[in-house]
Amino acid sequence: MANRVELQAVTKRFGNVVAVDGVSFAIADGETVALLGPSGCGKTTILRLIAGFESPEAGALRIAGEDMTRRRPYERNVGLLFQHYALFPHMTVAENVAYGLRHRGFPKADIPARVAEMLALVKLPALAARHPGQLSGGQQQRVALARALATRPGVVLLDEPLSALDAKLRQELRAEVKDVLAAVGSTAIVVTHDQEEAMSLGERVFIMSHGRIVQQGTPDDIYAKPETRFVAEFMGRSNWFSGTLAAATQFRTDDGLLLDVAPHATDGAGHSLCLRPESIDVLPDGAEPGPNRLQGRVVEVVLLGAARQITVELAGGRRLLALQANRAAAPPARGEPVAVTFAASACILIPDEPA
Amino acid sequence: MSARLGDNVARVAVAALIVLALAFLIVPLLVTTLMAFDARSYLGPLPPPALSLRWFVNCFSQDTFAAGLRVSIALAVLAAAISSFAGAGAAVALDGAAFPGRGLLLGLFLSPLVVPAVVTGFALLLALSQVGISNGFIRLLFGHVIITLPYTVRATLASLAGRDKRLVEAALVLGATEAQAFRTVTLPLIRTGLVTGAIFAFAVSLDDVAVSTFLTDPTTYTLPVALVSAMRANFDLTIAAAAVLLMALTALLIFVLDRAVGFDRLIGQGMFRT
Repeated sequence: MANRVELQAVTKRFGNVVAVDGVSFAIADGETVALLGPSGCGKTTILRLIAGFESPEAGALRIAGEDMTRRRPYERNVGLLFQHYALFPHMTVAENVAYGLRHRGFPKADIPARVAEMLALVKLPALAARHPGQLSGGQQQRVALARALATRPGVVLLDEPLSALDAKLRQELRAEVKDVLAAVGSTAIVVTHDQEEAMSLGERVFIMSHGRIVQQGTPDDIYAKPETRFVAEFMGRSNWFSGTLAAATQFRTDDGLLLDVAPHATDGAGHSLCLRPESIDVLPDGAEPGPNRLQGRVVEVVLLGAARQITVELAGGRRLLALQANRAAAPPARGEPVAVTFAASACILIPDEPA
Repeated sequence: MSARLGDNVARVAVAALIVLALAFLIVPLLVTTLMAFDARSYLGPLPPPALSLRWFVNCFSQDTFAAGLRVSIALAVLAAAISSFAGAGAAVALDGAAFPGRGLLLGLFLSPLVVPAVVTGFALLLALSQVGISNGFIRLLFGHVIITLPYTVRATLASLAGRDKRLVEAALVLGATEAQAFRTVTLPLIRTGLVTGAIFAFAVSLDDVAVSTFLTDPTTYTLPVALVSAMRANFDLTIAAAAVLLMALTALLIFVLDRAVGFDRLIGQGMFRT
């Protein structure tokens, strides 16, 4: 499949700050990629470079094989969905959606039909005559999506598309955005700091830190095999043990626990062991001891709805966070002695970065 | 004294201050209006024993006032128009880019607010006579554009600052050129600021005495200048009548403005129209 968007060693500085540091990637036709990272990692700058609002100091940018590095925004065929919608407040919904069509030389006679088609696609056909100020946040973002996609852009950029909405609406709209993107078959780049949004929208996820892409892969890959502590922490909550590999399948923590892990090459270097809360089972105390079974006491149980978050304090004072599906008839109570267990394969080993 | 009593005292004090301020603003206007209709031929104590329109008749029958009013209105319209174009252009340029000397340039545009009017008037008189401009109307126009520029620049800058800059980016990415984006997005959104600036410019121009005094010639003078010199020659209530006429003109302006853009937007922070 042809590459739709290609960055080659792109660097962008603002004064002394390197916002984007020699980033290269290629995105295939029809693919949706999520750029995920904390604020200030350069992900929004990459988006602005692709849109043409910024131009790079070094490197090249190609869209559909054509060099776009120095093109003005209106000379690129790019759609952009803004975080705060950026709908034109003095135009109606229909005028907003038609704006790109009018300026991209769409045949005048076909514009009303295309506007109606787009508004139907985002399920807002009845609101064409309203002004953006009369719409809710979710409706505004749908109009913005219709506006961004109306001209059939070669690539759609979504800048924190759902972060201005409240949690419940965000989930609904996330599914809808995904459906709409699939329906038009557009290549899309989603910039977000929300790992759920990245994992649910992106077929591939690029994790960014300090202007570089530190890891890329499918959401499953990255969640299961983070290469650095930064990536592991960014993708979700985790329990951490530092220590060394005592043998190919044994990890000795700094506080003296011996844990079974999946086979690894032992090189004597320090490692961190990452254990996701959902990998930990909390069992009633009293069962026979076994591998990766630790004794402790429940110090806190928090009901999150679908799941229960249980904090267990181990004998040495270390606390572990476990996540349990909300199905158990009798969840462990606070103060109750329990045993926690986890599979060797659930232990993610990450080499310590050289200090 | 309880905390609650303190609050009540403060509330009463604030109310009293507001009443006092309103009194100072309104009472002189009321007195002037009343006196303008006074039938007596001398300045007597209030209230006037009889009412008449003699001062208004007098006002219109004096050639200097009528001529002054014509010049004043022509000047205000022209100065407001030129100042609006120049000020809005300057504001857009100043708002768009960060370049060295931007602050200095902005300060320069706003300087007529702080430079004493006497200095502006005198300096302009000297400078214009050096380049050979001695026509009174042209001189006045220069002066009035200069003193109204801060208002149009500020009003436009305020409305530009209140707008969402991403709207222009949205327009660009949707295929509009910079010029098209300005025309279809920026301009409609700063319209209120432009109108406000123009109205302020008109009012400031209509009202000016200090700068105008230096720039008039024997045949070209504004109404306020004519009023001041008439007052020096013989103090009578024709000036009160002229003042009432000016007030009526201003009130009409405010009424039109309220209908056009809404007065709350005009004086509040609502420069950005949504």
